[in-house]
Amino acid sequence: MREATAVWTVVALPILLAGLAFAAAAFNSVLRAVGAGHPEPARALTDPLREAARSLIVQRRGTLAPDRLLTRIGVISLPVAALLAAVVVPIGTEPVARLRIGVVWFNAMEVAVWGAVWLTGWGVNSAYALIGGYRFIAQGLAYELPHMFALITAALGAGSLDLTKVAAAQDGLWFVVWMPVAFVVYLFSALAMAFWGPLGHPVAGDLAGGAAVELSGPDRLVFLAGRYMLLVVAAAVAVPLFLGGGAGPLLPAWTWSLVKTCAVLAALVWARHRLLVLRMDRFMELSWMVLIPAMLLQALVVAIVVLP
Amino acid sequence: MQPYLAVLILLGSLGIAIAAVYILSRLLAVPGVVGVGPFLSGGLPSEHAVSRFHVRWYAVTMVFLAFDMEMVFMYPWALVVASIGVKAVVEMFLFLGLLMVGVVYAWREGALRWA
Amino acid sequence: MGLSARLARCAAGRPRPLIAAVPGATGVRLAAEAEVRRRGWRPASSPGETGLLLICGEPGAALDEAIETVWWAMPGPRAQVRVDAAAASAEIAEALDRAVIGLADVAAQRVAAGTRPAMGGWSPPARHEEHHMGAPAGLAMADRAADRDGLTLDVLRVPLGPVLADWPAGLQVVMTLQGDVVQGAEVEVVGTGEGVAFWDEPWLAAREGRTVTSGAAARRLAAAHLDSVGRLLGVAGWPSAAARAGRLRDDVLAGRPAARVTASYGAFARRIGRSRLLRWMIRDFGVIDDAVVDRFDLTGPAARHPGDVAARLAGWLAETTAAIAAVDDETALAGDEGPRGPVTRAPSAGLIAALPALLEGAEFSAARLIIASLDPDVDQLVAAAVSPEAPDA
Repeated sequence: MREATAVWTVVALPILLAGLAFAAAAFNSVLRAVGAGHPEPARALTDPLREAARSLIVQRRGTLAPDRLLTRIGVISLPVAALLAAVVVPIGTEPVARLRIGVVWFNAMEVAVWGAVWLTGWGVNSAYALIGGYRFIAQGLAYELPHMFALITAALGAGSLDLTKVAAAQDGLWFVVWMPVAFVVYLFSALAMAFWGPLGHPVAGDLAGGAAVELSGPDRLVFLAGRYMLLVVAAAVAVPLFLGGGAGPLLPAWTWSLVKTCAVLAALVWARHRLLVLRMDRFMELSWMVLIPAMLLQALVVAIVVLP
Repeated sequence: MQPYLAVLILLGSLGIAIAAVYILSRLLAVPGVVGVGPFLSGGLPSEHAVSRFHVRWYAVTMVFLAFDMEMVFMYPWALVVASIGVKAVVEMFLFLGLLMVGVVYAWREGALRWA
Repeated sequence: MGLSARLARCAAGRPRPLIAAVPGATGVRLAAEAEVRRRGWRPASSPGETGLLLICGEPGAALDEAIETVWWAMPGPRAQVRVDAAAASAEIAEALDRAVIGLADVAAQRVAAGTRPAMGGWSPPARHEEHHMGAPAGLAMADRAADRDGLTLDVLRVPLGPVLADWPAGLQVVMTLQGDVVQGAEVEVVGTGEGVAFWDEPWLAAREGRTVTSGAAARRLAAAHLDSVGRLLGVAGWPSAAARAGRLRDDVLAGRPAARVTASYGAFARRIGRSRLLRWMIRDFGVIDDAVVDRFDLTGPAARHPGDVAARLAGWLAETTAAIAAVDDETALAGDEGPRGPVTRAPSAGLIAALPALLEGAEFSAARLIIASLDPDVDQLVAAAVSPEAPDA
């Protein structure tokens, strides 16, 4: 953390984070309306705003003997983790904080979601939520190691844990081209850390909303907003890791970062409407016996390539 | 601007935004607090939900812990592969191979399935 | 007041209804679901999420108690819409419009909130006798029991249903859970009142000597299976496919020409049938073999397609294909083989009786998939209990 921060990044980051989170929510609503066969799906664009409006005016609600502090910590941890993860992501070439260990920092912030979801599920003292909270822990056991391998593989290719240097190292060739396995595994883990779509078992409908079942009002709003922010950050980190960061013709670097982030984000949102929920009692074996060995081989290939 | 200052400013802004949500809710919401039981699709609880949850994937957590510890070492390793060379790659992948043998053993013992 | 009124109006434009289905009123449930979909509203799954409780049919006393519990748990602004079993689509639409106006009326909502009993914390009603030490807030902590490996572990008794999305109307399963494993399940039918076995209507009418074409019956059978498939897909966590099944169901019921339905159903069935991910997630549990069929006297699709959840889904899809091909059949309906088996023998009773044995030892999500893959039709029990001779009264 030696170089000074450009002031514009401090202004741009929250705007981009909030804007993209809303865009993801709105896109999700539109895709849902299309799926439901609504004649004017574009009208669903404002659905997230309407839900937010309801969250603000809804009566306060408390379950029987809840642990309010733990629930609140869990709920608020989501946006906090997302923001802290976002500070190392370069917008173009400029992150808010140019950490030499940006990749590790991102990893550490993302792991906070384990605690956040579990605390939310546990704190409200509700059986469905409890089961949902534990589902996330099981999911973490399945996605975290492949996720870390994907991060390390990209860092290995660049010889640096600084996201800006990782992006810069892809000058000639984007990492996605020669680390396709790592890229796909990363996208999978991006869905998992935001418990989104096919990895949304912790908040799935068979538990009437799982870990989030008892949340209402501002708690629900912060929880869901935090989840969209996580999805945005997960998509944004894929850009410096695998998609060449801000590199691209004609347009300035920050535009390319934004365009690529939007593309990844749209793919992640779309996955929810294309795929069904994965249950970890089925998926665990595949994760350990296919994803991890595949990532081992991918890392080995990259290690051999970077040998002097 | 110092990076730590920038991060603090951002964190503070987020804190203000979250506080604003809760304060707005206090000001605008329909008054009163609804005390409710846990949602049990119309049923009533027989006991508190907070309990010792039987995690049957317990064995996976053990294997995970062993592997996860190792992964932390891979971060610094990734930085020095290029300078140390073949030795670093051979050592790391021998170690990973050993761990993977352990995982395969755990898999064959059924540690990765529980349903 | 100004800002909250504006926010309330904004939110009321797209409420998220929680649908409480009543056995014996399937027809009005379908009409309500179609109306909700037409408006582009997204159904809610819990009281914390919803402001609009949509009760389809007249619940009996027991079911009404469950619905009251959910209504009680809903924070205001809230509205309740009750549509009776005979309500037409226009009446439902009108009732929903009234509810939207009520949700947007902050002043009235504040008054209503003021009349709610002031309670800082909820306490369980007096159904639990003793309040002893070690029972914080009047509710006991989890008890312990031996699990299948002989360990002594905490046990939760968790009810599922009757007010639950993608769930058979009027069914309640109380699960004894250790972690997310079902150690035991007690099944109960809640809210037996009056009603019509909607899915069995054509066959029942034909038995009474009224003229029913085979095509009309085929339509009803296809729609019944599509309804079941949609719920199974919803439980499996594939909402987009579930929504597609719901639209197809409504198209079939609305009498769309066979050619149009065949094409869109074909695409849907291929998508579902080819999904290896879906098959992977729903195979090898909830297995019904000949022994189970004999023991519980099962008939209908569950008996015709023995095997796991995936086999039953494939069976539904195949039978729906055949039924859709026959929707223009003008011959008189013969036989009594309805969507779930012979309509005179209330085949859902067997499905319900088979549930406890099938659920024991299953994981929670697997248990929900098993229930959805059998999809017992409680209407049959309700209607049979009341009047076997007047299905369209």
